[in-house]
Amino acid sequence: MDHHDRPEQGPACSVDLSHRVRRHCPVGRGPEAVVVDPGRRRAYVACSRSDAVVALDLDRGVAVWTAPVGREPIPVILDLPTRRLFTADARSDTVTVLDADTGSRLTQIPVGAYPAGLGHHPGLRRVYAGNTADGTVTAIDADRLVVVGTVPAELGAGSIAVDTRRDRGYSANFMAGSVTVFDADALTPLGTVAVREGPCKVVPDPAAGLLYVASSLHGTIGRVSLEDGTVLDELPVERAPVGMCVDPSGGRLYVCNRGAGTVSVLDTRAGRETHRITVGNAPGDCALDPATGTLLVSNAGSGTVSFVDRPWLPGPAQPAVHPLVGRSLPGFALPDLRGGRIRTSREWAEKKYVINFFASW
Amino acid sequence: MINVWENTDPRQEAENFAAVWGLGGTVLLDRTGEYAARLGIRGVPTNVLVDGRGIVRAVGGTTPDELHAAVRELLADD
Repeated sequence: MDHHDRPEQGPACSVDLSHRVRRHCPVGRGPEAVVVDPGRRRAYVACSRSDAVVALDLDRGVAVWTAPVGREPIPVILDLPTRRLFTADARSDTVTVLDADTGSRLTQIPVGAYPAGLGHHPGLRRVYAGNTADGTVTAIDADRLVVVGTVPAELGAGSIAVDTRRDRGYSANFMAGSVTVFDADALTPLGTVAVREGPCKVVPDPAAGLLYVASSLHGTIGRVSLEDGTVLDELPVERAPVGMCVDPSGGRLYVCNRGAGTVSVLDTRAGRETHRITVGNAPGDCALDPATGTLLVSNAGSGTVSFVDRPWLPGPAQPAVHPLVGRSLPGFALPDLRGGRIRTSREWAEKKYVINFFASW
Repeated sequence: MINVWENTDPRQEAENFAAVWGLGGTVLLDRTGEYAARLGIRGVPTNVLVDGRGIVRAVGGTTPDELHAAVRELLADD
């Protein structure tokens, strides 16, 4: 065939060298945590303001079932041997157990005050709830579904990480600025590690011998040795990191920045952030689908779960400065919390002031 | 302070939060999140610093050090 007869063609193949946010799936209100079941192709999302867990089809991105749990479920974990889901319901002081295939409730277990975190040791058949208001950790037998012990931690005990190699648990004590180390089998405290203020999430990488600690107040990720509890260094990320997950190789850490609506991607070997991914509003936590490499991010402010393909690849460059800087503040007319009167930006004309956007969660 | 992205009863949630943390200043309710969206606010907490001419000088400033530095700069500019 004469090459002049061929229509104009592009390159024979092209490779997309960037990450891609494939979709934002609406789930319930206030999705705070997500866990992936790669074998059954499901993701389970704890929707704190819906008081429910939503099961998503990983491939179609649609909800399969929604199951009520206790009040304000924050974390969710999946115990594969029993195919049970566990949520810690912060405002009902319970751990709810569901059948992961049907969403039917199996039981609800009273724990300590304001449980805001969960850890899991599949080998020891234990689930651990961090009771934030009590400063304790409740251990639950994952088979018999009963409380088997309590470990004293410190005020603000929430996120729990478990090193299944060393059989050790770690409680991030938000108010105390510390991490409590405990024996995950004997349920005895082993010591305390002082970390940066506001430790919000802890995630272990047992193979690398590291514990990652997110300091939500300082926008950093601390790295602590699992061998001796030494704080090794701190890596800057973006505003208010509150959730994270490490990839199976340990080479990348994905950090949800609640204050910025982004995920920071850290190269753990190089010890630095390589790029950021824009997701939904106020992301709470994330999980990887090991079958596809897709990153799922629960966005508490948007009520969605973002699906990010090839998250290890960079994307469009983010502006160094927020686009609002240097511009006039758009006017507002909003009701006052106390009394309901509409207040406008004109009241603050010619004044210097700070507007703090906040949410109660 | 502007409360945003509450899912259930914004007034009640904001009142509870203010009571727990002893917030005595002005608290406004952005119930629909529309105002936050206009400003391109995508996370909480987020601070927006405004000068006497109504110009936005900084967005973010979440860590104590960042906020203190941004406020010092704002106050120094007269």
